[in-house]
This record gives sequence, structure tokens and C-alpha cells, in this order.
Amino acid sequence: MTLTATAPPRSTGTPAPGRPRKSIWSYWRFYLALSPFYVLFAVFGLYPVASTILLAFQKWDGLGPRQMVGLQNFRFLIEDSTFWLSLWNTLVLFVMSTAPTLTIALVLAVMLNSAIRFKGVYRIAYFIPNITSLVAAAIFFAAVFSTNFGLINSGLRALGLPTEDWLGQPWGIKIAISTMIVWQWTGYNTIIYLAGLQAIPTEQYEAAKVDGAGPFRTFFSITLPQLRPVVLFTVIISTIGGLQTFTEPQVMVGETGGADQSGLTTVLYFYNTAFRANDYGYAGAIAVSIFLLVLLFTAINWRLFRGRSTE
Amino acid sequence: MELSRRTLLAGSFAAVAAAATGCSSSMDAGAGKKNTTGNLALWCWPGGLGKSVVDDTVAHFPDQHIKYTEIGGDFKQKLLTTINGGTGIPDVTGIKGEDIASLLPQAERFVDLKSVGADSVLGDYLEWKVKQATTLDGKVIGLPIDIGPTALFYREDVFAKAGLPSDPAKVGAQLKTWEDLLAAGLELRKANPKAPIVADATDMFGTIVNQGTERYIDKDNKFIGDQDHIRRAWDLAVKAITTKVEGRTPGGTPDWNAGLDQGTVPTVTGAAWVALDIKAACKTSIGKWRVAPTPGGPANFGGSFLTITKSAADPAAAFEVIKYLLSPDNQAKAFADAQIFPATPAAYDKPQLKAADPFFGGQATIDVFGPAAKNIPIAYEAPLDAAVAAPYTAALKSVQAGSKSSEVAWQQAVSQAKQIGKRQGVQ
Amino acid sequence: MNRGRGILLHVLLTIAGLLCLFPFFWTLVMATNTTSDIYRYPPKFTFGSQFDDNVRHVLENVAFFSSMANTAIVAISTTLLVLFFDSLAAFTFAKFRFPGRKTLFVVLLATMLLPAQLSVVPQFQTMVAFGWVGSLKALVIPAAANAFGIFWLRQYFQNSVHDELIEAATLDGCGFLGVYRHVALPSARPALAFLGIFTFVASWNDYFWPLIVLTDPDHLTLQVALSSLNKAHGVDYSMVMTGALLAMVPLVIVFIVFARQFIKGATEGAIRG
Repeated sequence: MTLTATAPPRSTGTPAPGRPRKSIWSYWRFYLALSPFYVLFAVFGLYPVASTILLAFQKWDGLGPRQMVGLQNFRFLIEDSTFWLSLWNTLVLFVMSTAPTLTIALVLAVMLNSAIRFKGVYRIAYFIPNITSLVAAAIFFAAVFSTNFGLINSGLRALGLPTEDWLGQPWGIKIAISTMIVWQWTGYNTIIYLAGLQAIPTEQYEAAKVDGAGPFRTFFSITLPQLRPVVLFTVIISTIGGLQTFTEPQVMVGETGGADQSGLTTVLYFYNTAFRANDYGYAGAIAVSIFLLVLLFTAINWRLFRGRSTE
Repeated sequence: MELSRRTLLAGSFAAVAAAATGCSSSMDAGAGKKNTTGNLALWCWPGGLGKSVVDDTVAHFPDQHIKYTEIGGDFKQKLLTTINGGTGIPDVTGIKGEDIASLLPQAERFVDLKSVGADSVLGDYLEWKVKQATTLDGKVIGLPIDIGPTALFYREDVFAKAGLPSDPAKVGAQLKTWEDLLAAGLELRKANPKAPIVADATDMFGTIVNQGTERYIDKDNKFIGDQDHIRRAWDLAVKAITTKVEGRTPGGTPDWNAGLDQGTVPTVTGAAWVALDIKAACKTSIGKWRVAPTPGGPANFGGSFLTITKSAADPAAAFEVIKYLLSPDNQAKAFADAQIFPATPAAYDKPQLKAADPFFGGQATIDVFGPAAKNIPIAYEAPLDAAVAAPYTAALKSVQAGSKSSEVAWQQAVSQAKQIGKRQGVQ
Repeated sequence: MNRGRGILLHVLLTIAGLLCLFPFFWTLVMATNTTSDIYRYPPKFTFGSQFDDNVRHVLENVAFFSSMANTAIVAISTTLLVLFFDSLAAFTFAKFRFPGRKTLFVVLLATMLLPAQLSVVPQFQTMVAFGWVGSLKALVIPAAANAFGIFWLRQYFQNSVHDELIEAATLDGCGFLGVYRHVALPSARPALAFLGIFTFVASWNDYFWPLIVLTDPDHLTLQVALSSLNKAHGVDYSMVMTGALLAMVPLVIVFIVFARQFIKGATEGAIRG
């Protein structure tokens, strides 16, 4: 193998500072520890990924022969106003759902961490949305936002306020979809943060207390910096998940995305293109563009949230 | 470590190579191993076939060892993936009406039923339905399980209260065209503002298109979605919106389900199988529903097929099975099982279909559906039809929301539809 | 903390909890009523008497317990493998330096970014090549290690495992595996609990891939079996909801068992011990 040759001394690799340089073989334990994931990915993941990327340069109806078409799919993509609209929808929904989700989750986790009683009960309650059947949740939220018989409009009517055709209006659709996403993922992130909070040594809080720090100062000077790697994790995971939003709009407003296609996210558009229009090659091009978009946002987030505390 | 790194690299080469040549395995027509399990694998979706009919068929062919699987979720995706994989392909599989057009170009993956003796029975089935499973060069790849002839389901009590005719014969006589329906809608709105006569204008648009003899793409693969027949459907749907006789309540939504029983969805224009959805949602309005002919003439929504794949161990034997399973007698039984509406006119005279239905106030709905089934217009449905139709529905939703004018939305729909067509070679 | 603030805290936590629970409560209501009750107006928020009937219908239509056994086999083995492989890799990434570390980590992150839906055809072809179509192996082995868990645990290890502890353990004569076992694992219990819970849930509820890859109708996982309750028309939602509810019960139990690991005292005791 050529790895030893391509790893000349000093130029590549990151030998631990202050330690003598070692042969690549002396790291074998580490590579072995990492190998399960990479071996599984090589065996089961690489071919599908390569195949998807290749598909972006092909024409395929899902069953017949594949045909190379060069960059044609990407040329169509640039002219395709629906595609650009779906990107816009995706970004708006991403912001509308991720920001509240992570903020509320962090607040809840900190509160829950300082609560002494009923911790277990709250934890179960926050966990429930993640295992509630999606069909049930979809029926429920569609019922909440319904025009004639919906809970929100019933409430508005009772208060003498004008009602809104939530699922029939472009902005109503976005609000309804992001509400469902926030409901589904807030508890999940709360539990992540809660696990992260457990790693902060109690002594630090006690020291802050001795210094007379209030809850807010404690939060910003101890909790948040210590939680930084976990926050980075949730931001990245929410970015990856949020930019691939698909199920919620599909179950709430259908595959067209509703009025002005307001709920048509890029992955939903991708899904329609592949499995409804049988245009798998074009869908492959959309998939690759989603990949690039998520890559871009992940890189931005990484830089923004990484900060100084992580190396 | 050496080993796993080498495997990794070798693996990645193999993967890229396999991806590059991935087409080779799927290119030889009808590839995939023959089923050698000794069973006859039969796939359909839940509720796709009558339960008693399947049980009876399994018992009737003991030597075939029929293994019936109901596949929930995305049936088509499971089928396509399995066919691409080449292993475990069923001998016989259902194909939904909305998918058959897009599968016709892949006819070589299925057995031409004419080659196993279908000619003797094809005459039993409605001609227009068989045509949907016939390729342009005359191969027949599917035997019809059922059809979806439409009718106007309506609430007799709501109509009567508003001074509209309520007897099915009179409703049929007065609401002959869509214009009639919209006019009646104005009357109904005056008497009962909470009961728009059209539940949803986009659903209505789809029905009108299905009533025509032309669709979005013609036989020469030319786009005709910007022509008068589509524009007429569009204008009628827009008129329903602007005269406020439609409720923006698409079928299947909670408002729709609740409205069926509450009387705020007083009519449904839908296929025979919609009766199942209406019955599931109604508790207090049992006996108050009636069925009349569709304004503007009959149309069809859905209705599926059984096909024999090229992997079938014994295509001739498989054909005997589906011939039996889908015989007029068994189609009548399937209707009794689960409202699966027969594709064989001979079944319409059977007692199961002639029965009076208490849900419909004792009406024998076959009196409406039977004639409709025989008069469905024959229209050529291109493989890309469903894909090209989608932008129209989306654009109509914007008109419903009031965010776009009819003209702007129409232009947008036409240009999007053209673009989708262009991507796949439609002129 | 003073009393007033304590009460406010519980009020807010309770409101959030109720909001989370409401759709679940709705599932319960649907499962105890008939489908037409679900669409009544004003909506019905009380429990009905149909639960026994609905359960019976589910059990008549679905091979519930044998499917559940299959699902349990898949979910338990996947979770154990993931916990082991992911923690080992994450610990290595978080605490050791070696050539190619950054590149490998970037590759790991990148694998999470591609939308999965298009891969189903090539994935299935891979299973055909291995001869695993229809086998539970096709669900467990490819999922035995994942980027999500490695990323999560790496982030956690960075702060929770202190370098001094590792050095101390090394001086005591612990090798790589010893440090992993005696230092890393005990201090990461809350993180492992989280990963365990959600791997189990994801595996338990996975539906799309099992639907594609399992072929024998007598040998399905629970979610695939339950999907056959969704008829094409006239869906009996109260029955569907009952099935969903029954499938949730083991998840709640697993959560309660794992969630004990969140308790801080246990963690600290383990580190000191």
C-alpha cells in the first residue's frame, strides 16, 4: 500500500506536539478502533453514493436502460424556477423551525437540570413526540390548523377574532409545518442538552455561586461555554435534518406543497421528481445540489459555532 | 489494518465501476431470476383485492401454492426496487391505475397476456380499461382488477333543505353539466352559506380533465396541455372559485372528513371507491347520501391491474390463476368484499351489485355506476401524463388562496408543465 | 432557589410537557373510539369503549407478536453494536492524535449529508449481491455503526473525559482498551444513554428500508406489518392508531430504563470508583 509513501515526514498527519514522531504502524490501535464505521460505509454506503452521483449525469425512468446525458440535468436545474422556489422554501422553513427548536430546547434543558422533583416525568413527556406515530401527529396537526373544524380557528372564533385559512395560505402553510417540526424535535434536543449538562462538573457551579453569580451569569459564563461541543452537534444535526425536511409538508399539505407551492421543500421536489414523475436522473441532480447546500451550511455552522473552545 | 485499507480502496473502485456499468444488469430486458421457490408469489396492496376472492383462489389452485403478500406503504417503489434488484420478483403483481401508463414503456418486463391466451377473455372486460394496459404496438400487460367510474355523491337532506331537487333521477336531470352544478351552487349558497356545492376546485379540475378524450400529451408525444380542452376545465374550476361555490376542502383532509357528516361537504364527485371513504367518516348522516350521474358525463379515477412478470415460473399457469381471480363472478364478490368496482360489465347484473345500499337510502348505486362504466371516454394517457399534470393543480391552489390571478397562474402552470415535458423529450 | 422561582419553573416545564403529550393523548382517544368518532365536531376528547375491539382487530389482521419479536431482535442487536463501535471510534477521535484524523472525520461528516431516498435501488442491489434479501441481517449489519453516533459521542468526550484522567490511567498501566473501558465509558453514561435510546427508537420505527428488503410475509418487522392496516380506501384510523400505540409501549419502557443513566450521581460515582 502506498500510504507510507504518501505520508512523508512532517508534511501530512498531525503528530501530537511534543511527542517524538512515530511510524504510521504505531497508530494501528486507533485505525482499528475507527475501522468498523469506515468498513461498513465502504461495503454498504459507497456504491449507493457513487450511484446517486452518477445518476445526476444520466437519464433514467427507474426501470429501463440508463443513458448518459452529461450536464444536461444541471442545465435544466438552473432554469427551473420550481427548484429555486423549493430552495427558498427549504431555507425559510429551516430558520422558522430550527431557531425556536434549539432555543426552547436549551431553556427547557437548563430548567429541567435545575429542577429537583419530577425530573423523570418531564423527561418522558419530552421524549414522547419522538415516538408518537407520524400518522397520528399528521392527523392531529392537520386537525389543529383546519379551517372549519380546526382547534386554532375554534379558539379564534371563541375570542371573536377573524379566522384564518391556515393550510390554504402560503404563510399559514409555513407556520403550520414549522409548528409540527418544532413539536417533534424540541424534546429530542432537550434530552441531548440534558445529557450534555451532566458533563459539567458541579464544582464549577458551586464556585460561581460563591462568587455571587446569578442564574443568567452562570448560564452565560459556565453552562454555555461548557456545552459548546454539544450545541455544535445539535446545530449541525438540525442543519442536516432541517435542510432535508420532507415528511412534514408531505403529510400536511400534500405533494404539490399547497398554495403557491409554499410547502414544497427541495427534498419533497426531489421525491416528486423521482417517484412521481419517474425522472430519476433529474432527481439525482437535485440530490447532488441538496448535498452541496447542506455541505455549505454545515461548513458555515462549523465555523460559526466552533469558536475557540474546541480545538 | 493493511487488509482493511486495501479492502476499502478496492471496494471503492469496485463501487465506482459497478455504478458506471450499473446499467448493464438492468438493460437486458426482463432480467431477473425465474422464481424457483415452487410457490406462486402474488403481490398487491392492502385492500387491493377482495379477501374472500383471494382465499378462494388460493384454495382453488392447490398445486400452485399461491403465496399472497399485501404490501403497505409505497407499493410501486418496492416493486421497482425489487425488479431492479433481480431477485424475489413476484410471479404476479398488482399495478395501480395511476402507474400503468408510466410502466408501458417497460412492457418487456411483463408477459404479454395475449401470448398466454388472454384473447379468449379480454372481451369480458371494458375496452377502454384494457386499452390502458395495452402498448402502442398491441401488447396487453395487465388484466383489469377494477375501475373507478365517477358519480356525484350528494347529501339528499342538504339539497332538499335548500330547495334543490333531491331525488337521484331529478338531480341527474337538472345537473347535467358543470355550468348547471355551479348555478345550483349559487342557489345552495343563498340558502346555506356553509355548504359549498364543490368541495374543492382542484379536485373538480381533475374530474373534468378525466371526462375528456384528450389529456396533456398526445400520441405523437406532443404537449397539448395549453389547448382548449384543458383551458375549459381550468376556467370552470376558476369560476367555482370566483363565484364562491367551492370550499377549498380537498378530499381526505380533516375538514373534508368532518364536513361529510356535518353537511358542510354536501357533494363529492368521485370514483365508486370514494364510497368507502365517505362511509368510514360518517356516523350521523347514514341513509342521507345519494348517488347521481357526474355533471358533464362519466369519468374514471384509478382502477388497477394484475400483471405477470417475466420472472414468473410458469406464465401460462399464472394466467389461469389471474383469469380465475378476476372472472366476472369473482369481481362481483370483490365488490361485496370491499367496494372493488368490477371491470367486467357481466358482473353488474349480479346480486352483489344490484343490492340496495342502506347507506345511500336504499338506492342501488349500480344504476348510476353501471352506465357510467360503459361510457367512459377513451383518452390516450402518456407515460409522463401525471408528471405534467401536477403543475396545474399546484397553480389552481394559488388561485384558491387568492395569491395569484387566474391568468398568471395559468401561464405559470403551462410553462412548468412544458419544462417537465421538455426534460423528458416531449415536444 | 427560592420557592416562587421553583413554582414558576415547574409551571413552565409542565406546560411544555403537556404540549408534547397532547398528540399522544389524541392517539389514545382515537384508539379507544371508532373512526367516525375521530371526525366528529365538536371533536371528541374523551376515551371511548372501543379499545378492546380495536386491539382485537389489530391482532386479527397483523401477526403482531411474531413481528414484534423480529423487531426486538433487530433493535437490540443494532443498539448494542452501535454503542460499542461508535463509542470506540468517538473516543479515538476525541482524545488521540494520529495521521489522517481530520480527513477521516470530514469524510465521516460528509456521509451524513446525502439524502438517502435515492440510494434505495443500489442498496437493494448490494443486498442481492450478499444474498441478504429477506434476512434480518440486511437491517442490522449496515446499521451497526453510524456517523451520527460517532459525531455525538466525540463532542461529548471532548469535555467530559479529561486528559489528566487518561494520563493517570495510562500511568497506572492501562492500555488503549483499558482507558476506554475504565475512563471513557463510565464518564459518558448520559451520552451513551441518549445514543442507546435513539438508536433503539430509530431501529424500532424504521419502516422504509425494511419494507423494501424484507420479502417473506410471515417474517416482517412490526412497522412493516402494521403498514398493511393502511388500506387504499376507507382507512380504519382507530385501528391504525391502536396498532401505533401498541408498538410504542416497548419504546417507553426502554426509555425509562435507559433514562436512569442520566442521573448525575451515578456518573460521578463511576468515575471515582
